[in-house]
Amino acid sequence: MPFPNVRLASRPLHFIYLCDCSGSMQAEGKIQALNQAIRQSLPGMVAVARENPEARVLVRAVRFADRAAWHIATPTPVEQLQWVDLQAAGVTAMGEALELVAAELRSPPMEARALPPVLVLISDGQPTDDFELGLAALMAQAWARRAVRLAIAMGDDADAEVLQRFIGSEPGRELPAPAAAEAEVPGASGELPRQRRGRSARRPLQASNATTLARYIQWASTAVVGAASSSSSRLISERGAANGADSGADSWAGSWAGGVPLPDLPPTELDPFEDFDPLLEGDSVDHSGSINNLGPLKW
Amino acid sequence: MSWLLPSNSSHHFLGLDQPVRIVQGLGSGSQGQVFKVQVGGESLALKWYWPSCLGRDPGLAERLQESIRRGSPNADFLWPLALVRPKAAQRAALGPAGRGFGYLMALRPASYRGAVEHAAGRLTISLQNVLKAAFGLATAFHALHSRGFCYKDVSLGNVFLDAEAGRILIGDNDNVEVSGRGGGAVIGTWGFMAPEVALGLSRPDGGSDLFSLAVLLFYMLTRHDPFKGALERAMPCLDLAARRRLYAEDPVFVFDRRDGRNRPDPIEHAAALLTWPIYPRELQQLFEQTFGAGLRDPGRRSLTGQWRQVLSASLDQRRLCGACGQENFAEPQAASLCWACAAPLPPPARLLGAAGVVSVAAGNEVHAHHFDPLAPEDLAQPLAQVVAHPQRPQLLGLRNLSCHPWTLHLAGGEAITVAPGETGSLAAALQISSPEGQLRVLA
Repeated sequence: MPFPNVRLASRPLHFIYLCDCSGSMQAEGKIQALNQAIRQSLPGMVAVARENPEARVLVRAVRFADRAAWHIATPTPVEQLQWVDLQAAGVTAMGEALELVAAELRSPPMEARALPPVLVLISDGQPTDDFELGLAALMAQAWARRAVRLAIAMGDDADAEVLQRFIGSEPGRELPAPAAAEAEVPGASGELPRQRRGRSARRPLQASNATTLARYIQWASTAVVGAASSSSSRLISERGAANGADSGADSWAGSWAGGVPLPDLPPTELDPFEDFDPLLEGDSVDHSGSINNLGPLKW
Repeated sequence: MSWLLPSNSSHHFLGLDQPVRIVQGLGSGSQGQVFKVQVGGESLALKWYWPSCLGRDPGLAERLQESIRRGSPNADFLWPLALVRPKAAQRAALGPAGRGFGYLMALRPASYRGAVEHAAGRLTISLQNVLKAAFGLATAFHALHSRGFCYKDVSLGNVFLDAEAGRILIGDNDNVEVSGRGGGAVIGTWGFMAPEVALGLSRPDGGSDLFSLAVLLFYMLTRHDPFKGALERAMPCLDLAARRRLYAEDPVFVFDRRDGRNRPDPIEHAAALLTWPIYPRELQQLFEQTFGAGLRDPGRRSLTGQWRQVLSASLDQRRLCGACGQENFAEPQAASLCWACAAPLPPPARLLGAAGVVSVAAGNEVHAHHFDPLAPEDLAQPLAQVVAHPQRPQLLGLRNLSCHPWTLHLAGGEAITVAPGETGSLAAALQISSPEGQLRVLA
């Protein structure tokens, strides 16, 4: 006889894309890149949802141009989601998009119990409406304050300060947001952003090309969803380890958003890997000789 | 998905005579990527680490070397077989991956699926096989701890289950370390971490593994989280602060006998309420012990040997409801009702060995530990199995799975020989004699 027909209890995990569809997104194939990145990320998102039966991953999307509107209005189980292409035309009603999301994060319609929502704002420009009003409406909602809020800047013209305000600053953990944002954004000289070491999901993620955009979308829809459903392994903090005293499992080595420790960012073409060399910093290796796998513990 | 090592590329690694050919990427995780590879005609799995992971965990290579040198605790681990690093000349060609390393391990057979599939109710498994899998987990951790190792990151995500065989495999063995060293970067997964580890009071060790093992066994047996009850329902947002309260600061077992604050909700937590009463009292007590006194005192957590003993005894008293056929594990002596259909369960016939009693129910097995009081519980090599007659399912017999003939002593004084592979009817049997010992049949 089979095991009784029961399963783990679960909570909804609302994942909401806020997509800039202004006219400038037509340039350089940006809107196509965004559609492609989201569509390609869905199988990975389905896999993560399967591995996390304690989370019911429900996806929605808002598009904003002259006005903001729900592109996917119904919270859709990720395995049923079919991405319909966004079209670009008009200006950048980002503030209205935040208001739309704010209305949905009120309880009700939000469930009484849920996992922290994940909000991903993707933009290539400046808001043309009242962003402050929208942000205030959003942040008035407890679920928005508890949400993991991520922002992806497409190209060099995105308003990093606005995106940083959406994410919020992280008191005491990192550089003050404006300074950090300035360091990230390339100047008029066309210099590459100085992202090595400084890259953080607590600041807008700079997607300068389609590949980087796809990696960030993939990361947000898989690794971040895993972290928000709390299935990923916890790490001791580097700070705690250095002090010889851990402050516990919530002292995550990386950065945080809305009470959720964020996983490592994916490698990008600009910044394929972090700065250290494990062969130099990690274990000691005798570069002159071979390594016997059955050999002594130390070389 | 972009892979660190491209498919069909071949690599000469330090310490390996044979080249390693990458067949395909199998999966990508927070620590690195896993590939199916061919090495000297053998299919293996290769895990390759992200450089960011290596930077956080400088002791990783040394830990893996020690695990490789000492070998797998038992056959149920996907244990590291060899550490592989690119040769200096190859590093540049490998790109960023050339700055890292990986290890080889056995490939997981396709019959094993993630234990998460069981918890999510997406695979069919018998209660007997769930208990066997739980016994396999307790045995694997017993072997691991006996070697002085601890696992550290117990979770459903690291366990694989063969539902047909009731067997398990334990993956992700790269956090394994000698207990008490306190190295490594990973300290566990929320919901499975012992409170003292979650609170940062200590690093994971063998004692915290015992807590995590109990959580894992509870998930396996009930498809429910042992700490999700009324207290969890009162938390609107299950963020990290909430998890910290639920699992570390004020953990209350949902079936705690003295503290009723966290009882399961009849609708939302129905899995726990339905499955918990299925299990024998002795088994429930091991959970109550670990999630009661053992919450704050690692020394009072149920031991792997206790889990093995009680889980194998639970399997021994398995019987089938005559009305609905469901598996029951109630005390054979006590009057009881089927948990599924509430029909009365008559006392079962039993097989009495020198060191154990097995209820007569199709599928139940006799093992060496039922004859020898000094033999450790071991389910790997059953000596006999109760089977139903193919045409007359009410007629039960005992199939000889050993390699020696037995003698079946019948009520009329007759004796018949049951060769290996044959089945002797238990209807008229009084006693079975085998080289391992005697089994008395108690009707």
